[in-house]
Amino acid sequence: MKKVILLRFGEIYLKGKNKGYFERVLLRNIKTALSNIDCIVNKTSGRYIVSDFDDMDYNNIVSKLTKVFGLTSLSVATEFDTSRNNIENFLANFKTNVKTFRVSVKRADKTFNIASNEYEKILGEIVLNANPNLKVKLKEPELELVVEIRENKKTYVLTESINCAGGMPVGTAGKGLVLLSGGIDSPVSAYMMSKRGLELVALHFHSFPYTSLQAKEKVIKLAKILSNYTGHIQLICCPFTEIQEEIHKHCSPEFMITIMRRIMMRISKIVCDKFNAKAIITGESLAQVASQTLESINVTNEAQTTYPVFRPCIGMDKSEIIDISQKIGTFETSILPYEDCCTVFLPKNPVIKPHLNKVKREENKLDVEILIEQAITKLEITEI
Amino acid sequence: MIYLDNAATTPLDKEAGEIYLNFASNDFFNPSAIYSKSINIFNEIEITKECIAKHLGTNFDNNIIFTASATEANNLAIRGAYRKNFGKMLFSIGEHPSVYNVAMELKKQGANIDFINLQPSGEIDYLDLENKLSNDVSFISVMFCSNETGAINDLKRISDLKNKYCPKAILHSDGVQAFGKLKINVEYFGIDLFTISAHKTFGPKGIGALYVKNKNIINPIIFGGGQEYNLRSGTENVPAILAFKKAILNVGNLKQNYKHVQECCDIFKKEINVTGCKINSSGSPYVLSLSFPGVNGETLVHMMESKNILISRGSACSSKKSGNRILEAMGLSKEDILGSIRISFSKNTTLEETRLAGQILSNCYTELKEKLK
Repeated sequence: MKKVILLRFGEIYLKGKNKGYFERVLLRNIKTALSNIDCIVNKTSGRYIVSDFDDMDYNNIVSKLTKVFGLTSLSVATEFDTSRNNIENFLANFKTNVKTFRVSVKRADKTFNIASNEYEKILGEIVLNANPNLKVKLKEPELELVVEIRENKKTYVLTESINCAGGMPVGTAGKGLVLLSGGIDSPVSAYMMSKRGLELVALHFHSFPYTSLQAKEKVIKLAKILSNYTGHIQLICCPFTEIQEEIHKHCSPEFMITIMRRIMMRISKIVCDKFNAKAIITGESLAQVASQTLESINVTNEAQTTYPVFRPCIGMDKSEIIDISQKIGTFETSILPYEDCCTVFLPKNPVIKPHLNKVKREENKLDVEILIEQAITKLEITEI
Repeated sequence: MIYLDNAATTPLDKEAGEIYLNFASNDFFNPSAIYSKSINIFNEIEITKECIAKHLGTNFDNNIIFTASATEANNLAIRGAYRKNFGKMLFSIGEHPSVYNVAMELKKQGANIDFINLQPSGEIDYLDLENKLSNDVSFISVMFCSNETGAINDLKRISDLKNKYCPKAILHSDGVQAFGKLKINVEYFGIDLFTISAHKTFGPKGIGALYVKNKNIINPIIFGGGQEYNLRSGTENVPAILAFKKAILNVGNLKQNYKHVQECCDIFKKEINVTGCKINSSGSPYVLSLSFPGVNGETLVHMMESKNILISRGSACSSKKSGNRILEAMGLSKEDILGSIRISFSKNTTLEETRLAGQILSNCYTELKEKLK
C-alpha cells in the first residue's frame, strides 16, 4: 500500500493515431517539471502515476504538476494490489469526520467480476460500519470515495481531485516567438499560447541607457516565472536604442510608436527564421492604447506577413488580463516600475489611426534594413 | 572603474576584511559562552564600543547597541522609544526611508506625527521646527547629514530649541552619512539617540549601531536571549563588529579627509559647471546632488555606467520608487527632480578620477541633450 498521485489528461483523448506522440511529450514535460524531486513517474492506460515520493515533497509536486499544460486534474490516492480482501480491508479502516458520503467504483479491469454498482453498495456498508455517524448521500455528498480498479491489477482509492492547467502539452503545437515587453499583457499572452501547446522563444527589446538594466532583469524574471508553465525558454534581448534614436531624429514624432512596432515586427520575422518559430505572439488588446487600434494593428501587421501574429488578449479587458496575470504569478513582477523601451521618446500625441502610406513615407526617411541588420548582430540569448 | 556612489556603500577596508575572516572562521566563538575564548571576544566587542563612543564624542557607558543595520537602529530608536502616552512626534521630511517609513507606520497606528519642512538648501526649516515645537512634543528625529543632498542640520540649534520648548522630548538623529566623515559630539549636540552604520565608512555590511544616552528611554523591539543589555537580542555579529572597529581606526584624520573630499567636490562642480546643470546641495562635500534639466537622471546614470563610472540617481534605497520626496520638499521643479543624480565621494576618491568623471558626465549630458533635441 502506498501513496501515489494520479494525473489525468483531457484533450489528448481527441487525438487519433498520433495520440501516442502527445502522450510521450506530456510524459516528458511531467518528468522535466519534477526533475528536481525524488520520485517515479509512470504511465498506465489513460493515466500517469507519480509514486515513491517523500511526503514532504507532496505540496511541491502538486504545485509543479498543476502548471503542466495537458494535465486536467490530479488526485492523491492510495494504491494497492487489486483483490477484494485488500479493498475491503482498506475501507474497513477508513475513518472520516464528515457527515455524508458515497462510494463510486470505477472498474476498468473487467476481470474483477462484480458489477460496479453492486460493489459500491458492499463497500458503502463497510465504510458505514467503520463510521457509525456517517450517512450515505448519492447526490453532492461531502465526501466521495472513489475506488478505481485498473487494468494494471492495481486499485486506487481517492477522495478529491485538484484542477490542473488544462491545454495541450508544450511542444506539441510547434514553436512561437513571444514579444515580452515587461508589462502585464505579454506574459499573459505567452501563457495562453503555451497552453495551446506552443514551445516559446521570447524576444525583448531594450533601450539602454534610456531604460535600466533592471528592466532587462525584470523580463528575465518574468520569463523564469513563465517557464514554470512553458518549460525551457530562450530569451533573446535585442538592442533597440539606435533604432529609436534614428526614428526620433528623422521621423515625425507622432509616428514614433507606429514605426517602432513595424520595425519590431520585421526583427521578429528574422528571429522567427533563425529560431525556427512559426508564429509571433503579442500582448495587444484592441483599443487599449494608441498603438493597439484596429488601424495601428493593420499597419503593424503589414510590416511582415510571413508568420501569423497571435494576440490572445485581443478581446480581453485589462481587468481580465490582470486576473490571469495574478493567477499565473507574473503580475507582481510586471508592475515593478522600470521603464520599458516603449516609454522612451514617447510622443505627446501619437497617431491613433495611422495611414499606411504616410507611415511608409516617414519610414523611408530611415535606412530600416541597415538598422535591423545592426540590431540582429547584437542579439543576446539567455537560456531560462 | 570610478566609483562615485560612496553614500550608498563603500568597499570593505582590506585589513577590516582580514579581521572579518578571522572572526568568522578561527575565532568564531559565541561571545555569550563562558569559556575564555568567548570572554575574550566579549571584551573585544566592549573595546569596539569604546572606540565608537569616542568617535561620537562621548565616553562608553554601556550606551552603544549593535544592530544588524542602521535601518534596524533607526527602527529601534523610534519604535523602541514610542509610548502610548506620547504627545506629538516630529520628523524632518528629508529623512531616509528607514526613519520616514517608520514614522508613517506609527501614524497608521494612531501616533501623532508631524513633519518639519526643508529649506531650499536641504537643511530643515528651523522656523518651521520652532513653530511646531510645544510642551506636547515627545520625540524629534532629524538626520545629521542628508544621504540625498549632503545637507547638514544644525543639531545643536535643534536641541537648544527642544530644550526651550519641550526639554523632556527625546531627540534622535540618523548619523549614517556623518559617521567617519564629519566631527560628531553627541554630548555637545544634546542628542539622546544617534544611529550609525559600518558599511558607509569602509566597514562590513550587516552591522549598525545605536547610541543611547539613557537606556531607560527605549524598549526592545526584538526579544530573545537578552544580548545588548536586553535591548537587542540575537547572537552578536562578531566578525562584522570587529571589522567595523578596524574600519573606524583606519579612517584616519577626519579633517584631512574632509579637506581632500572638499577639493574633489569643488573640482567636480567646476567640471560640470559649463553644461548648465544645477547644484542642489550645499553642506557635506561627501554628497553632491545635481540636476540636469531636460534629461532623465536615470539615463545619465546608465550612460556613465557604460563608461565604467558608477553614480546614483537619488539614494539607492529609494531609486526603485518614482519621484523624490526630499528634492520636492526643497522646492525643486519636476524637471529638475527627473534630471537629478547623486555623486558621492570618499576619502579614497582621487582628484584625477573626479576630474575625469566630471568631464565625462558633462559630455554625456551634452550628448544626450543633442539626441533628445
